Amino acid sequence: MKIPLTFVLNHQKTTFEIDPWQTLLEVLRNQGRKTSVHRSCEEGECGACTVLLNNKPVNSCLVLAASVQGASVMTSEGLVKNGRPHPLMKAFTDELGIQCGFCTPGMLMNAYALIQDAGDTVLTDAVIRKALEGNLCRCTGYINIVKSVMVAQKSKLAGEWW
Amino acid sequence: MKKREERLILGKGQYADDLEFNNMAHLVFVGSPHAHAKIVSIDITRALALPGVVTVVTGKEVAAHTRHLPVQANFTSKGWTWRLAEIYAISSDKVRWYGEPVAAVVAETEEIARQAAELVSVRYDLLPLAGDLRTALNPGAPKVYEDWEDNKQVHLVFDFGDPDKAFAMADQVLSVTNREGRVTGLPIEPRGCVGVYDTKNDTLEMWGSFQTPFLARHNISATLGIPEAKVKINAVDIGGAFGLKIHAWKENVVALASKLTGRPVKWMEPHRDFVTTGPHQRDVFWDGKIAFKNDGTLLGLKATVFHDLGVESTNKGIAALSIFPACSSPTNMYKWVGMHVEGIGTVTNKSFYCAYRGYGKDKGIKFIEGAINQVAKQLNMTPEAIRMKNFIQPHEFPYHQINNYVLDSGDYPAVLNKAMEMADLDGFRKHKKELADQGRYLGIGLVTAIEPAGVAVPNCQMGGITEARVLITPDGSVEVHSDRTEIGQGTEISHATIVADILGMDPAHIHVKRVTSDFIGQGPLSSRGAVYPASAVAKAARLLREKVVKCAAWLLKISQDQVVLEKGFIYPADAPEKKISYAQFAEKVFFFPGPRGLDPEMLKAHDHLLDVTTTWYSPTTPESGSSYTSFCVSADIAAVEVDIDTGVTQIIKYVHVHDAGTIINSQVVDGQIHGGIIQGIGEALYEGLNYDESGLLQNTSFSNYLIPTSVEAPDIEIAHLETPSPFSETGSKGMGEAPIIGSKAVILDAIEDALTPFGIRVNDSPATPEKVRSWIRQATGQGR
Repeated sequence: MKIPLTFVLNHQKTTFEIDPWQTLLEVLRNQGRKTSVHRSCEEGECGACTVLLNNKPVNSCLVLAASVQGASVMTSEGLVKNGRPHPLMKAFTDELGIQCGFCTPGMLMNAYALIQDAGDTVLTDAVIRKALEGNLCRCTGYINIVKSVMVAQKSKLAGEWW
Repeated sequence: MKKREERLILGKGQYADDLEFNNMAHLVFVGSPHAHAKIVSIDITRALALPGVVTVVTGKEVAAHTRHLPVQANFTSKGWTWRLAEIYAISSDKVRWYGEPVAAVVAETEEIARQAAELVSVRYDLLPLAGDLRTALNPGAPKVYEDWEDNKQVHLVFDFGDPDKAFAMADQVLSVTNREGRVTGLPIEPRGCVGVYDTKNDTLEMWGSFQTPFLARHNISATLGIPEAKVKINAVDIGGAFGLKIHAWKENVVALASKLTGRPVKWMEPHRDFVTTGPHQRDVFWDGKIAFKNDGTLLGLKATVFHDLGVESTNKGIAALSIFPACSSPTNMYKWVGMHVEGIGTVTNKSFYCAYRGYGKDKGIKFIEGAINQVAKQLNMTPEAIRMKNFIQPHEFPYHQINNYVLDSGDYPAVLNKAMEMADLDGFRKHKKELADQGRYLGIGLVTAIEPAGVAVPNCQMGGITEARVLITPDGSVEVHSDRTEIGQGTEISHATIVADILGMDPAHIHVKRVTSDFIGQGPLSSRGAVYPASAVAKAARLLREKVVKCAAWLLKISQDQVVLEKGFIYPADAPEKKISYAQFAEKVFFFPGPRGLDPEMLKAHDHLLDVTTTWYSPTTPESGSSYTSFCVSADIAAVEVDIDTGVTQIIKYVHVHDAGTIINSQVVDGQIHGGIIQGIGEALYEGLNYDESGLLQNTSFSNYLIPTSVEAPDIEIAHLETPSPFSETGSKGMGEAPIIGSKAVILDAIEDALTPFGIRVNDSPATPEKVRSWIRQATGQGR
């Protein structure tokens, strides 16, 4: 039996018909067509499916979709404005904090929350690494990802973010 | 320049899991819960009864509709032991490893297929295990393949140079061993694909995470008995590969399911299945003796390397093939008198063995680097002094090594000197003494390596074939086709840079096309990218440039040597104001005034067709037998601190100096270095696949097969030297695997250095905290 689910997805109120057992990951990918939300371990270990739930990063594979009724969910597609990459995204491209790209959308959402929450506090290497611990990357060795986050925070502090 | 990266960042990637087709069904494999068992019966009736199930494919259907998996490498004729197994993609009589598929359920949705997979009921009769190398080699051991004499699949024997002379010349001989645990490369994205069998045309097309579409096509076509010309394999965006997505095997079943159902069939591998039934690597044991003079001159090696290959079934020789580079690579970058190396590969009841960054060429280097550091200790030399004494010198290139490798170029002493300078080696050694006084254990590791890159082994699927096509379209943009799939290693950036430089174009107008099986080539395995495909692309672009110059000279009414191609424009050297864009140029050549407006002689020569397809092959391989064309150089120095109470190793400093010849894009090269080093650190410290006594794999997820997170990964200081390779078209060398070799060896060496007061030999990776503690306990006699 399908049930209706209404929540704010990437700034827009959205309603899907879902199965009660579906995870947020499945609903975002299958009904929502947000294919940036990547499926890998489905056990909350890899972080590839990270999205923001009420501004906090979560592994969407561990969230029951029905539980997000009325909540706000943001995927990396939600960072894009008028087709333009968000400055956070641009930092990852410029610094090559991306190789195969599979962990990237989840990494972006975690980094976005980290930078938002940091306010004016400049993020150090150690703080960034600790925050991104739950997002596994097998290609980059994380070095350019950390660099990307630092560059992105500078752009935030310079008022370039939307 | 970074078109692909910008697309992926915007969430517009199309990975295997994102593929959708009309009327698509979903396939889920049913895996064996046992490691070695006879299949008594399979009951699929309950699964078939579940609403939404389309069909269930078992070994019976596979045997009825497909052929045995095709042989990929066969060296039986050489007089070596080389056994192959005749196996179908799904076995119908017995299972040989934990997780081996016994059936595939096809259903309307993946969820239904997963549920139905639980309803497939299989009765097994357990068989005794050949669970590890030692058991498998015992006389009378349970056989993995009944028709083989025993479980030994491969036994290769090599004599390089004059090993007996080397040992006769020696002042001393030292026994050395090394063990590497079993690992998996484990990209974050597992394998997946969609097979679409067109029943009207009897053609098959597949899309998925294919690292080597051309080889996959051959293997899938051969299995299904469809002519290769009627099969097309497309690589989509690939979420990391590292060699683990070369192999096509479960994909063959997906293709069959599509043929049997007449529907597009999608398979997306659960990540745990990728660990239990995916390619494994390493799991070797070296036992040898190294011969040397008292002044530190290295002379020779006699060694045997034992491989636990797991099952042979799905590989057909490709696992066995990796024993060649394992046996050849101990020569590394030094001068030797002779080596005798034997490589033994044994099948066991574990998942199969295939490529992962390093493949085999890493194993000999890690072994010999450890051995050389033992020799240095024995002679009271520093690790740098013994290397400096034995390096092949810059003026000696190209150097014909005793194992027939033709080493292309390099300045080995300069690379090591640079690393020592950056690492402040003397300062760290002083610091080590200071910390020792405080009861702390700092260790400094030093390792140098060359990476044999760009493989070409005739008589097998790793033969070195490659093809590239570069063309200009009528709107003046450029298409680049090659066999180099993008697996995150910067194919698009590299190809676009090469072609833009040669044609004098803006890289934005260069379109590097996705790889399909339409183009001949092995793909980007064995760090071939910067060697074979890049050379083929560069060659094609240069030939295309000649056509452009000829046509432009005619159109601009100037001589060919007056034609300048720059920044997307074509103009006479003495009249830049007469410039035309590539778009204007292409339009003129193609349509207005069109070919008839060109010199008839040019038409006869087909110069007006701005399209070049060409091939490239190593200039050294055919005559020398060198199975690699380029050899990039690296030096790794690491300082670690070992907490002897917890056994935890912390990396304090990491320096990597690298010479990969001409650098096409330094950001891409640095990215490869970072990633490879962290993978090597993972192997050195944490990563190990553990099978229990029943042959069941114990760690199948990220929570217990530990890969480095951002917290464990250290910062890395990098410097580049650039000694162009004389053998590749661009001067660049393959380098994708070098970083994983030196990093694993150097971390283990540094731990051993830290534990010097205990006299511990660190020759058994991974050096997990548990293992380090047990070594210390044994050394100090504190219990077992």
